[in-house]
Amino acid sequence: MERTTAAPPSKREKRGSLDRTRRNLLKAGALVPAGLAVARAGSTSQAAEAPQSMPALPSAPEGPMLRMLKDLRRALQKPVEQRRWTMVIDLRKCIGCSACTVACIAENRLPPGVVYRPVVEEEVGRYPNVTRPFLPRPCMQCDNPPCVPVCPVSATYKRPDGVVEINYEKCIGCRYCIPACPYGARYFDWGENWTDGTPARQPYEDEPSHEYGRVWRRRGRGSPVGNVRKCQFCLHRVEAGMLPACVTTCVGGATYFGDASDPKSLVSELAAEERAFRLKEELGTRPKVIYLR
Amino acid sequence: MQAEFGAARGRAGRGRVAAYAVLAALGLVGMVALALRMQQGLRTTALTSSVSWGLWVALYIYFVGLSAGSFLLSTLVYVFGMHRLERVGRMALLSAFFALAGALIFIWVDLGHPERFWEVFLFPNYRSVMTVETFLYVAYLILILAELWLLMREDMAVLGLSGGLRGRLLSLLSLGYRPPADPASLEEERRKAGRWVKILGSVGVPVAIGVHGGTGAIFAVVQARPYWFGGLFPIVFLVSALASGAALVTFLYAVFGERDEEGEALLRTLGGLTVLFLALDLLFLASETLTALYSRNPEHTEVWRAMTGGRYAAVFWIGQLVMAGLAPIALVAAAGKVRSQRLFLGLAGAVAAAGVLAIRLNIVIPAFVRPEIRGLDTAYQGARLAYSYFPSFGEWATTVGLVALGVLAFSVSLEVLPFMETPEVVTARAALLGSRRQEG
Repeated sequence: MERTTAAPPSKREKRGSLDRTRRNLLKAGALVPAGLAVARAGSTSQAAEAPQSMPALPSAPEGPMLRMLKDLRRALQKPVEQRRWTMVIDLRKCIGCSACTVACIAENRLPPGVVYRPVVEEEVGRYPNVTRPFLPRPCMQCDNPPCVPVCPVSATYKRPDGVVEINYEKCIGCRYCIPACPYGARYFDWGENWTDGTPARQPYEDEPSHEYGRVWRRRGRGSPVGNVRKCQFCLHRVEAGMLPACVTTCVGGATYFGDASDPKSLVSELAAEERAFRLKEELGTRPKVIYLR
Repeated sequence: MQAEFGAARGRAGRGRVAAYAVLAALGLVGMVALALRMQQGLRTTALTSSVSWGLWVALYIYFVGLSAGSFLLSTLVYVFGMHRLERVGRMALLSAFFALAGALIFIWVDLGHPERFWEVFLFPNYRSVMTVETFLYVAYLILILAELWLLMREDMAVLGLSGGLRGRLLSLLSLGYRPPADPASLEEERRKAGRWVKILGSVGVPVAIGVHGGTGAIFAVVQARPYWFGGLFPIVFLVSALASGAALVTFLYAVFGERDEEGEALLRTLGGLTVLFLALDLLFLASETLTALYSRNPEHTEVWRAMTGGRYAAVFWIGQLVMAGLAPIALVAAAGKVRSQRLFLGLAGAVAAAGVLAIRLNIVIPAFVRPEIRGLDTAYQGARLAYSYFPSFGEWATTVGLVALGVLAFSVSLEVLPFMETPEVVTARAALLGSRRQEG
């Protein structure tokens, strides 16, 4: 399996694949802002390099997005075991547009049956007093993850930075971790494609995903087909100095990301708010996704 | 006498050939389905990311239970000295072996990457119950084989002398064992073998309990599924394992066993054991259902509602309650009052052994029907995200084929191996002793 850093694509290839990506994203109904796609394609070759070589941040007035980027780059200067990647989701700001769901599918090239970040919708109350609360559900990256001990081959484990990783090349596909997750955050790659049953496989389906900083091409029965998959906070983007795809695409600015071990970070401030809560805390899972009610 | 025996075999032979042909044909269909599954991956199943375990996992735990149940039944003979059951000891061990092999095949077929199964041995995570179980299965398999060899080595050796394909196979399986000629040392060897069988069986009791209770623990430790989570679950696993094991041996003995007074008494004992375990199982079921429903906690009630009322209702009412409960109990109760006791008891065994499969299905599938978070089922929809499941044709075909091949292999073994004291075995033993004595 190739590393992301291996041989940056030539200009022409890059252009070609970019155009293809954009076209197919539109085809797939994935309305990701084109600017994001440009940023992504432009930075893949720098994925594993030192944070110093990252593109300069714009000198715009500091909003939450810029602050989070600064927080993130500060965290990247620290040794990996001192980072604590944490997500904060402000439910009052979530408008239920599902842009994060779609951006995540596009970013991680998710096949049918796999969705790392669905948005749960509910309708509460009776007309005229009705509300529709929305609850985006990424992987909680539990500090005490119930999915980890059950894995017979230790193919899933907690990284030093707290993110729960799946080693696709080790996973035997027994799917024991799926029922073990109290949040339903784990999915199986059945080897299906969006174009199944149509005349031709489309090029966007051959685009690799960059999960865990590697290049994964879904072909035949090779990994990640036949493996369990889940949200990993877009580690490949984060380690390249970018925010997770769900954060950058959030229309309401409801999703925050950063290093909770840094008291100056935005997520540390938000996590300390009174309205913070975590899902199914009573199970002792200690999730690192914090909701603001 | 010999001729008469041969003629009886010939008559039964035609039916047997037909049965074998059917099994082989089903096996062939299953192999095609299995090849397709291996070539295309798990997309040939109807499983989803929400209902991630289905028919094959249910069959895996079913066969583990059948194996542990049969094995524990055999220990009644070899460890606890219940000599009334002596005649079915080897048969129970043999079915324990084939059932375990079946279980391992079904869980292997269910893997997303079956070619990586060896990783469990190379990179074991001992915190995973599944890993511990895998090692227990291997230990248990070795125990069964060692016991079988010790029990049958003498008969395999004497029958091996008769030559022919079967003879050669048997002398190969006897691993070169030669029973001593003089009766005194033969008696000594038998005594020694008996002691070893007792030792292995004694070790086997906790291992078999670990094998099946532990398989229950795979589910019982999952806190995220309140339907599974709890200390009673592994015990329920064990009790229904004992029920299915006793039921299977009852059925097998009714079909293949000796038709004499002692055989009838043995059948009654087996039928009684089956009823005892089935009744215990019903008791646990009642206890679990009633406490769960009393709680009104949707985590419990929704699962029970799906199980007793949804599309799988028949599995619960007909499979679990009637087949693995009331019907065999009634059949065994009625068997004492009719002339064809063997038919009733055999039928009770067959119905109960099949019915326990319903218990296994209801352990696996209903736990997956409730979304982990309310509304998750409608948050993002797709066929592979559905919280419902019904096995695909490929899953059924693979299952039927594998079971047919297993039954075929088991039947052939029953014919080839000296698993009972047939006249043939007795004659061969006597002949051997006689010839040795003349030589001496």
